[in-house]
Amino acid sequence: MIEFLSKQIDWIDVEYWFYIFNDLSLLYIILPFFVLELIRYAYQKRLSKDLVLDSIANVITFGAFFLIEIILGLLAVTKLYFWVYHNFSLPNLELNWITIITCILLADFAYYWEHRMMHRIGIGWATHTVHHSSPHFNMSVAYRFGPFDAILPILFSLPIVMLGYDPILVLLSEVFVQVFQTLLHTEIVGKLTKPVEFIFNTPSHHRVHHGSNRQYWDKNYAGILIIWDRMLGTFEPEKEKVIYGISEPLNSVNPITVFFHGITRFLRKLKQIEGIKNKFLAFVKPPDWMPQESSKSND
Amino acid sequence: MIFVPNKKLMKNSTLFFRTLFFIILIAGTAHLVTYASQQKVNTNESLETEVSFEDTVEQTKQESKTEENNRDLETDYIIGKWKVIYDDKDFKGGIVYEIKKEGNVFNASTLEYQDEKGNSQKAKKIKTLVIKKFDGYKGKGIYIITYKGKKYDVECDIDMVDENTFKLSYESYGYSDIETWERQ
Repeated sequence: MIEFLSKQIDWIDVEYWFYIFNDLSLLYIILPFFVLELIRYAYQKRLSKDLVLDSIANVITFGAFFLIEIILGLLAVTKLYFWVYHNFSLPNLELNWITIITCILLADFAYYWEHRMMHRIGIGWATHTVHHSSPHFNMSVAYRFGPFDAILPILFSLPIVMLGYDPILVLLSEVFVQVFQTLLHTEIVGKLTKPVEFIFNTPSHHRVHHGSNRQYWDKNYAGILIIWDRMLGTFEPEKEKVIYGISEPLNSVNPITVFFHGITRFLRKLKQIEGIKNKFLAFVKPPDWMPQESSKSND
Repeated sequence: MIFVPNKKLMKNSTLFFRTLFFIILIAGTAHLVTYASQQKVNTNESLETEVSFEDTVEQTKQESKTEENNRDLETDYIIGKWKVIYDDKDFKGGIVYEIKKEGNVFNASTLEYQDEKGNSQKAKKIKTLVIKKFDGYKGKGIYIITYKGKKYDVECDIDMVDENTFKLSYESYGYSDIETWERQ
């Protein structure tokens, strides 16, 4: 067993398999599935102008997000990650099966925490609210990103690099988790078998995560494995019908409004808050936090 | 209506220790398995070395007797220390490799780095070249190239210039190079 797990693998093979899943899945799963969803919407007489424009806005926000990701990728990944990898990491791990499997597990665990932070700190929610602001739930929503959605993951993947994992493998694993997550944005798939629902994140679990129903808030942060939520106290099963969106609906399909609404709302909140210390606290405190003086004056 | 949570929030200390436990468990497994496999390789290598030391004299006598071992004599002269001078953007200086015979193949591993001024530093043993076929004049093998932190296995050719020099040539993704290996 150790021999198999520690068998060295060529980078070319690893990159090939990640390419098949990470890159090509858009063509052979995600797009066909989205077309299927559109047909289903039409059949159910739910295919509206709002839904189509919302989907277009989603794709446009992804373009803006991707541009920021590329700029950050060039600066942070190639420089910072490799610098940390060569100077501040445990002994570098060889490329073998156990390294790949554990790297994906760690990337998934990092995703859980990064995602939880996005929901639980002010600046995180200011960008991540974009992803949750759609009143619909389909594959295109998976591509609805906010302007800073690429920043927090860096803070959480650096520790993986420090554990001795190759930065490129860490990035490929993160994209793998993200692609798996994308596949969960659908209403077509109901609940799966109990063992699968127990271990893995499924469309049902992720519908809960997108719910604006009060009991569904800040639940099911997982990427691939739902066991992280089960073990860290944030799991909620799908019981009540999910109403998608956020507590203060956006009511816009304008891509610019969609992309920046979290930041503009956050800036508006900062204006209301008095004192420099409190303004700083607003960045790291939960999104609904307001200092007592400000909340009194608002009342 | 005030929402009453049906579950208590987990304590921060519980979250912290559980998180730490998972990280240690997952990353620790990777490091342990890698360490165990490296130990195994080292043990095998030292066993081979011990055997070769004990049997060297006897083997040498036998080698000269049989035709098969005569063929070894024709190829085994490649065993030893070889130096390559590099003048790349990434590295300028020399690397000394040691070629050893392991089974039916010859493996070259890094032994020493030398800078342009001639200062040397012991290198971590990294397998760099595997010569799978060698007839004493020409050979074929795999050259392990590290580019931007990633390792690539590239097919290469060996051409002996004389008994103290050989040329190693390879081509990969449109990039080709010829290295000169000189006996130390």
